[in-house]
Amino acid sequence: MNSILGYGFTMLGLTTSLAGVAAGSYALITKQHRLLRQVRQWTWLALIAAVGAFTVMQVALFQRDYTVSFVQSVGSPFTPPLYNFAALWSALEGSIILWTLVLAGYLVAVAVKFRQRVTDPLFGWALVVMYAVTAFFFGLMAGPTNPFVRAVVSADFQPRGPNPLLQNHVLVAFHPPMLYLGYVGFTVPFAFAIAALITGRVGEGWLVETRRWTVIAWGFLTFGIVLGAWWSYEVLGWGGYWAWDPVENASLLPWLTGTAYIHSVMVQERRGMLRVWNLSLLCSTFCLTILGTFLTRSGVVESVHAFSEGEVGTWLLAFFAVVATLSVGLIGWRGDRLRSPGAIDSPVSREAAFLANNVIFGALAFVVLLGTVFPLLAEAYDGTRLTIGRPYFDSLGRPIAFVMLFLMASAPVLPWRKASNELLSERLFWPAVLGVAAMVLAVALGGRGLYPVFTFGLGGFAAGAAGRQVVLAARRQGWRGFVGRTNGGMIVHLGVVLIAVAVAGSESYKTDRITELLPGESVTVAGHTFEYVNFDGNENDRRIHLFANIRIDDDEIYTPGRTIYRELGQPVTTPSVKPGFSEDLFLVLDEFSDDPEGPIRLRVIVRPLISWMWAGGILMALGTLLAVFPGSRRRGTEAVSAAVGRDVGGNRKGKREEGPSTPIPAGVASTEVAPNV
Amino acid sequence: MTASTPSSSGGAPSVVASSSGARTAADRKRLRRMLWPALFVSALFLLAVATLDTGGAETDGERVQRLSESFACPTCDGQSVAESNAAVAAQIRNFIRAEVSDGATDTEIRDALIVGYTSSVLLTPPSGGVSSLIWILPVLVLVGGSAGVGFVLTRPRSGSRDATEDDEALVARARASIDDGTVEGAS
Repeated sequence: MNSILGYGFTMLGLTTSLAGVAAGSYALITKQHRLLRQVRQWTWLALIAAVGAFTVMQVALFQRDYTVSFVQSVGSPFTPPLYNFAALWSALEGSIILWTLVLAGYLVAVAVKFRQRVTDPLFGWALVVMYAVTAFFFGLMAGPTNPFVRAVVSADFQPRGPNPLLQNHVLVAFHPPMLYLGYVGFTVPFAFAIAALITGRVGEGWLVETRRWTVIAWGFLTFGIVLGAWWSYEVLGWGGYWAWDPVENASLLPWLTGTAYIHSVMVQERRGMLRVWNLSLLCSTFCLTILGTFLTRSGVVESVHAFSEGEVGTWLLAFFAVVATLSVGLIGWRGDRLRSPGAIDSPVSREAAFLANNVIFGALAFVVLLGTVFPLLAEAYDGTRLTIGRPYFDSLGRPIAFVMLFLMASAPVLPWRKASNELLSERLFWPAVLGVAAMVLAVALGGRGLYPVFTFGLGGFAAGAAGRQVVLAARRQGWRGFVGRTNGGMIVHLGVVLIAVAVAGSESYKTDRITELLPGESVTVAGHTFEYVNFDGNENDRRIHLFANIRIDDDEIYTPGRTIYRELGQPVTTPSVKPGFSEDLFLVLDEFSDDPEGPIRLRVIVRPLISWMWAGGILMALGTLLAVFPGSRRRGTEAVSAAVGRDVGGNRKGKREEGPSTPIPAGVASTEVAPNV
Repeated sequence: MTASTPSSSGGAPSVVASSSGARTAADRKRLRRMLWPALFVSALFLLAVATLDTGGAETDGERVQRLSESFACPTCDGQSVAESNAAVAAQIRNFIRAEVSDGATDTEIRDALIVGYTSSVLLTPPSGGVSSLIWILPVLVLVGGSAGVGFVLTRPRSGSRDATEDDEALVARARASIDDGTVEGAS
């Protein structure tokens, strides 16, 4: 029953989105506005189909309906409700359902938001592109990753439940949906970019329309990545949060190009430059989400996350090829309209800083992509198997991160067009004092090493610049000084600084000790005592949990252990963490003997400042929220450099004059200028 | 002596100004100009302390840790021998510890592990051959990108462009409509 119903919803979704593509394109080409209005309404049908498929699968998981193939692979009578709910995205087939659901949600959101503008070809084509992407994912659900395949329940069938790593931490319920909201959210600006290319309205209109969508998607992706790092830290038991694993890299790649985009887009809005570049960045971001999904879901690289294999790889790769070719082709076709009317006046200006930002983000994205796919290419080329790991990413990533922090410190204080030395000296003074103060503090507290101390210094410098902007804005505008893109963006920067400090501190000053202990014995690591009290355990229908009671500093008991899930047999290390403001104490039960009186091997990792990373992630999410709040100005160009009391009106007028031959951006046209001709 | 003259002459008026109680913007400007070099010097000094004052030569334990961080755990993904809890990682750690206390060099340990676990045990691919591309390509991209930005920065301004036929037609239409009096407020 569930199989048929689920498949029915899938087919409804597939038919609707294919019809949306066909009828939408036809209506746009023949200018049939009534049909276009109907096509817009159909988005609801696609959403109903996606919600239907999602619900049917949840019901099947809840009922433990093993006649549905997906439930057979991830369902089990013993999985607690929360993890049973999250089991939907614990394997490939189900995660495509989640992807489709999020995509259909965005489809309807776009249709609702732009309901007044149905007959605008820019919106119409964006809708068609979104329908096409939705059709692809419904197509996956209907064919290669069909989760609703009817399965025979054989007599010796043993339900296994989701991967044990995916059923012992609550973050499993939040990290994937957040990540997907981000990943999939980039479809919206991508669709508008393609629409802008198709309609030839490649000016700034589509950018302004999708600005907030992009920032929201970026915020979800950021938060999703940080939650993933947190999950990795709490669950995987190796004391780290980022392994440069292909799946992690796959989420980082679109984040890097997306971050580059939300910076360089400001140059285009303000100065009308970088059109080709922005379109390329956006298309790359979307392509990289597809490529990332291919890398991680096709089984092409083995990794802790790659739980699946199948023909889906071919489909994803084909889709990637189509999207990439289409993007490049369209950009080439519209090349003549994409020439920017403006130019950069000085290398010491905000637009030049944004350009440098883009080079740096692009270079880092390239390093991450190369490090991820090079082992595959080398193996395909001459069969060599090689590994590219942390030392490679660290040695190239560190200098890049330093430049990023430096740009974060200097770019926000730079005015547009040109800055004088005197101005820089004034605006950068207090940030620089803060940077030096941070280094003094670090060295005084015993911090040594070039990399961490330099990071703290640059971090203080960048935090000073961001703080300066927020303080000035708050002094001028009150609570409004905290909202809007610029001010919210500065709060995001503060979050980034916290994360940079956390990475430098926790990597450079960690202590990692493995010791053998008998009951009653204790060990001192980095000034903390760890007493092995006794061995303990408990069990239920689902799992056996064995753990050691460790008393930290004669106070609380912590319980690093190992969990064996009955249906899977495979033991999972369950670390125990004592978090703290200045350092975390991370305990892993490495080895134990069958005799409860025997020795255990305990691994103790002391990591300073790691909780700053989660705080930084939360601050970045908060900053994003503030950034999408309407600032002092709702439409048109934000006066990003208004802080120095420049003639804002004059600037805006100047901008208009720079692009005489461009079509007037749609967003601006609707409020300020009557559409001409 | 002569070198210090400009700074002392630059500093003197600000002392006078601050003693009179009111600091002008010009004084602050001068003060900043004096303090910037001080900030630079202290930053460099702190970095030098942080780099050089690292407590002598590497101990055996630090060496084991450093080496363990450079080898991949063969059964895990992404994790180094130092990070992993897997049994084989513990074996390799013990091997490294034994070799280090026997006085083996880094290269000897590395070669022995490559023999045992193939070169995929290295977290950074061996240099030379195809894999040197992973170092060359990023540098090329960075240089190319910077050159691109440099080009954009030095490009002559394309301020004036010839009007296209479309532009001419647009202007002609606008003129015509003004002459017709169909546009409000036109004179």
